[in-house]
Amino acid sequence: MNNMAQKIEATTPIDTSSYASATEAIRAEAARLLTEGSVTAVIGYRSGKRAGTAMPAIVTSPEKAAELIFSPSCVNNLALYLTKAKKDIRKTGKVAIVAKGCDIKALAGLMGESQLKREEVVILAVACAGVKGSGAATGEPLTTANIARKCRECTVHTPQGADSVAGSLSTLPELAPLEAEELARLEALTPAERWSFWKKHFSRCVRCLACRQVCPFCYCEQCMCDRNRPQAVETTPRPAGNMAWHIVRAMHLSGRCASCAECERACPMDIPLNLLNRKMAQELKELYGHEAGLKPKEKGPLAEYREDDDQSFIK
Amino acid sequence: MHATKQQHDFEPKIVSFVCTWCTYAGADLAGTSRMQYPANVRVIKFPCTGRIDPVFILKAFQKGADGVLVSGCHPGDCHYMAGNFHARRRFAAFRKLLEFVGVDLARLEFSWVSAAEGGKWVEVVTGLTESIRAMGPMTEFKELKTEEHWSGQLETAELKEAYDSIP
Repeated sequence: MNNMAQKIEATTPIDTSSYASATEAIRAEAARLLTEGSVTAVIGYRSGKRAGTAMPAIVTSPEKAAELIFSPSCVNNLALYLTKAKKDIRKTGKVAIVAKGCDIKALAGLMGESQLKREEVVILAVACAGVKGSGAATGEPLTTANIARKCRECTVHTPQGADSVAGSLSTLPELAPLEAEELARLEALTPAERWSFWKKHFSRCVRCLACRQVCPFCYCEQCMCDRNRPQAVETTPRPAGNMAWHIVRAMHLSGRCASCAECERACPMDIPLNLLNRKMAQELKELYGHEAGLKPKEKGPLAEYREDDDQSFIK
Repeated sequence: MHATKQQHDFEPKIVSFVCTWCTYAGADLAGTSRMQYPANVRVIKFPCTGRIDPVFILKAFQKGADGVLVSGCHPGDCHYMAGNFHARRRFAAFRKLLEFVGVDLARLEFSWVSAAEGGKWVEVVTGLTESIRAMGPMTEFKELKTEEHWSGQLETAELKEAYDSIP
């Protein structure tokens, strides 16, 4: 459905010439930091085995810094490697991390939740025109048709507040906000229609929990959804438990999600999970004026309160 | 003498999560004052509305509740100073999420009932019971429970036959 909408739009290539200079800048900066010993590791991307792919890489010696790249295939949110769930990386000491604008939002969120200190990490930001969405072939260049949905509405192409910014962007094409349109379409439906929409999607879920594993904010050492005494959420991949899992996941991320859409990318069943995250972000903005940003906030919207909060729904 | 109880075709099951300091005491006051209210409501006591996790509401619906009522102290009266303020934000967000997923919000009610408001408790419970009785049973979550995963569906005659031949 989403892919269909993308195909209707004319396919024009997006200028990613700055990615080459970004790669150079990242390599130089990583080599410098590692040589002078101010960081013990650099978390970045390197080429995958197949041409045109990329994978996360942790570089610990200056010679290997030349392996780092930035390309439209650098889809991962590397902030994941700095959470408590990945303790071994942080143990080594101060690290540098390559981050797109959306990843910096996640880093800011982690700092706001005291999972990370700003002085513990060197942020090598990248000026990013967008990365490829799911279903894009490995060899093809970035176009207006295969760009990830989140990048269509990106507001942080050139992020602020990082230690360095690699590359600089020329003008970017105006893209239709497909996800916002889809959200508006769903909101206009009746509750029964929305229920059948989500039921259809959630009943396909195989509960691989990739959405949880890939989320920088799902860092709890014991997820409440894994507990069985008492069992809050049925663990088998059946419709009842799936519905509960996705509601609980969206609820636990509301007010925290940085909209990196990694959950949606990692989902093997193509469930539009980011729609739920988007919806909650939108509601929390309306209710409490909260928006995920590049600066850490001490408290999220659901961790604080005001005495005059809206209570029109309470009798 | 009690008035004779009216017979209904459908008696909704309503689960109410209440805080022990205000609403539970309020419901108790309604009882000791011999006020009448529908027996459809099952009261579950919590230390504070701040302790009521959205998962509990979900679980209640999954276990067959036709309606859920969450009730606690008025803002500013919380025994733990700010529990109900936090709960208020959480439930405001949770309502929006449930609405987006497609749950009818008329089945989920929130109220502030203090320990002195026995009358308000009766009013809230009676109102909710009557409105849910008019809406009929909540079927969405119950249907999900009986449904199988897509890979477990006996879509073909062979599968059905193999399934039936299991002793």
